[in-house]
Amino acid sequence: MPDFEFQRYVTIGQYLATGSPLHRLDPRTRLLSGACLLIAITAARHLQGLGLALGIALAALLIARVPLNYALRGLLAPLPFILFLAVLQMLIGPQAADAPALVSLGPLQVSAQDVLAGVIIIARFIALILLISLTSAIISTSEFVHGLETLLRPFTTLGLPTQDLVLMAQVTLRFLPLLALEAERIAKAQASRGAEWGTGKTSILQRVRQTLPLLVPLFLNSLQRAEALALAMEARGYHSGKGRTSMTELHFRAGDAVALLIAAGMSALILLL
Amino acid sequence: MRFTYAAPDPNTPPALDGVTLRIEAGEYVAIVGANGSGKSTLARHLNALLIPTAGTVAIAGMDTRERTHRLAIRQTVGMVFQRPDDQIIAATIEEDVAFGPENMGLPPDEIRARVRQALETVGLWEVRLRPPHHLSAGQMQRAALAGVLAVQPRCIVFDEATAMLDPAGRRTVRLMMAQLHAEGVTVITITHFMDEATDAGRVIVMDRGRVALDGPPSEVFADEDTLHTLSLELPPIALLSRRLRQSFPALPPNLLTAPALTSALDALPHRVTATPAPPPPPPEPHVVGPELIEVEALGHVYLKGTPLEHRALRNVTLSIPDHGAHGLLGATGSGKSTLLQHLNGLLRPQEGRVRIGEFDLNDPRLDLRAVRRTAGLAFQMPELQIFEQYVGDEIAFGPRLQGLEGQALRERVRWAMELVGLDFDAFKDRLTFALSGGERRKVALAAVLALQPAILLLDEPTAGLDPLSRRELLTHLQTFRGAGMTLVTSSHRMEDLARLAETLTVMEDGRSLLSGPAVEVFSHEGQLRTLGLGLPAVAEIASALRARGWPLSPGVLTAEALAAQLEELIPRA
Repeated sequence: MPDFEFQRYVTIGQYLATGSPLHRLDPRTRLLSGACLLIAITAARHLQGLGLALGIALAALLIARVPLNYALRGLLAPLPFILFLAVLQMLIGPQAADAPALVSLGPLQVSAQDVLAGVIIIARFIALILLISLTSAIISTSEFVHGLETLLRPFTTLGLPTQDLVLMAQVTLRFLPLLALEAERIAKAQASRGAEWGTGKTSILQRVRQTLPLLVPLFLNSLQRAEALALAMEARGYHSGKGRTSMTELHFRAGDAVALLIAAGMSALILLL
Repeated sequence: MRFTYAAPDPNTPPALDGVTLRIEAGEYVAIVGANGSGKSTLARHLNALLIPTAGTVAIAGMDTRERTHRLAIRQTVGMVFQRPDDQIIAATIEEDVAFGPENMGLPPDEIRARVRQALETVGLWEVRLRPPHHLSAGQMQRAALAGVLAVQPRCIVFDEATAMLDPAGRRTVRLMMAQLHAEGVTVITITHFMDEATDAGRVIVMDRGRVALDGPPSEVFADEDTLHTLSLELPPIALLSRRLRQSFPALPPNLLTAPALTSALDALPHRVTATPAPPPPPPEPHVVGPELIEVEALGHVYLKGTPLEHRALRNVTLSIPDHGAHGLLGATGSGKSTLLQHLNGLLRPQEGRVRIGEFDLNDPRLDLRAVRRTAGLAFQMPELQIFEQYVGDEIAFGPRLQGLEGQALRERVRWAMELVGLDFDAFKDRLTFALSGGERRKVALAAVLALQPAILLLDEPTAGLDPLSRRELLTHLQTFRGAGMTLVTSSHRMEDLARLAETLTVMEDGRSLLSGPAVEVFSHEGQLRTLGLGLPAVAEIASALRARGWPLSPGVLTAEALAAQLEELIPRA
């Protein structure tokens, strides 16, 4: 039953080894390009730029051979929040004094500009989620870690504990799909004891109330897992700071330079349009 | 040496108290004991994960208290933990194995060489680029071992490393321990499986933080009464040997392994030829009602329509009679859990049909809650899903949703708790997280029983339990069975299934391979062996004797049946 397959809706943090051209780039290229585009989308001010960003994200998903319907399904879970934010923006966003009101609800007035602002919010979030799903689909955790580690290496001299930070990110990413699986198991255990999971007749209020007993074991189990993992890491001699080496060596090729240039150019376009 | 966990209560008894031990290089040591006896705490002192509160621990002459020694100690003593998925850090197997050498600061070429060697030793080189959650539990445990081997430690501690594995996975890990020992590595294994302890050259029994017994297996397993007071039990073969010695006093004592027992029996004067096999004992009469559960050509695909989809079941067909006791066996990932989830309506059939009593799961208008009330499902490690703070609330969760309240609810909770042997007044206000592993398992089981299901579905009910809790649980299950409940149990332990199940289904790669009466299924020896499942101890011995020419009839599953047949063949002195 799709009702129980929480994993289906978690597209962020799920690596898909499709072996596409994007997968073959140097991880640093993928990281930097992704970061560039993310910043551009976050800072873009106009709908045209965000439209372009959406186009780029969809095209990149195609090149990366990530099935579109799978990527789009990842939007379903956050969609209510995005819509809520958009409506909020329309109703109580900063009002332009001279804009003619399209609809007025008592003291609240919605102008054409407000609607535009709402649409921009929706477009921005959708582009962001698609891009993050894409980056996590094409960068495996280990590539992410090694890429980030080499990129951040200059900062170690400034006394920043980069290795620890990177490892923290790595473990978080590895645990995201596991959390979804665990939540699924607990929901099933409760359903088999009579809770209304997966019977297809629950109101939103009931769903919220059901989530609470789900969170307690989820939280406790995560803590236990984290403890077990920390123990396993320590037992294998993990220590932060100097003296750690890495098995993989990264190579930056001509194709990487091209990809990076394209990403930078696109980012600039998104910002300027 | 003494160790106390930091606890708010100053009267907390120490986890280890006055432990003095010396383990020589190259030894093979098994540590056994009940839950909470201090086994794991002891193991964690061996590579400086814990530092003793009083006393000293020296590893190869290095005091674990010295911070400067810590890295060297962790390179000397490696550890493999219980749960496979909690000890793998990286996204691919290869990267994970490299983690240890990376911590040592070795150059990349050296790391790659070591990773290759370690992965080839455990036979995982071919799958080195796979993400860990795409491996079976047995493979993951081998990957964890490879991660330890890559550091090239002189001693390896296995902390219940086989508890979560299927029979094939367990056998491989046991073979690897023996192989490592032969190569001169010191092997220390903590286990609840007594038969694993017989592999070792020395067995240490822990009890309430102290060393209770310490000696070779033949000595430790000589006295059954002492073992029982320590909440332990004899290994299955030793138990069988003891029973057979009652019939044949000529057998030597302390036969702990299958080859030893077989040879000893074979050495007794016996008739081999010209004796027709004694007729098989009549099958035990059992109440056979009409078919209660019918599964026909069931198929299931997880995450259908996503890039992650995988098939869990294909063409599964089986039926379970009313008041029956059915067992599911098969390797990890063979579809047992998915099948069980169909039997209480958590999953609806995507292909094929499922009928449970009067409920047709293919009917879209079916009230799934009614199905789930009829068939109660206790998940694997059910104690991980406890969410209430107090034992009483946890067990009342289901009945309360059924609309029970007040005195009726109280009575129901009391009834369920008594079924699993928990005292209502003593336990109802206890905090769930402060219970022991065995007690938590009982609470989780009571929570399912409180719904008064007609069918009880159990997924690996004894996995990870210590011998005492396991024995208690099995006794309770037999009681429910006597009370008319239909049981469906999946298990990796052939002994449990031989004891609990009348009918069995063998699953392989999502298919139902064999299905029928237990005696019949266990007679497909060759097939079970190729699946890596093995046989219960009694059937194992019977099969070994048959191979040596003893005319034993097939389908011998209990010690009594074996003794009866042997008495026909061995003339009394």
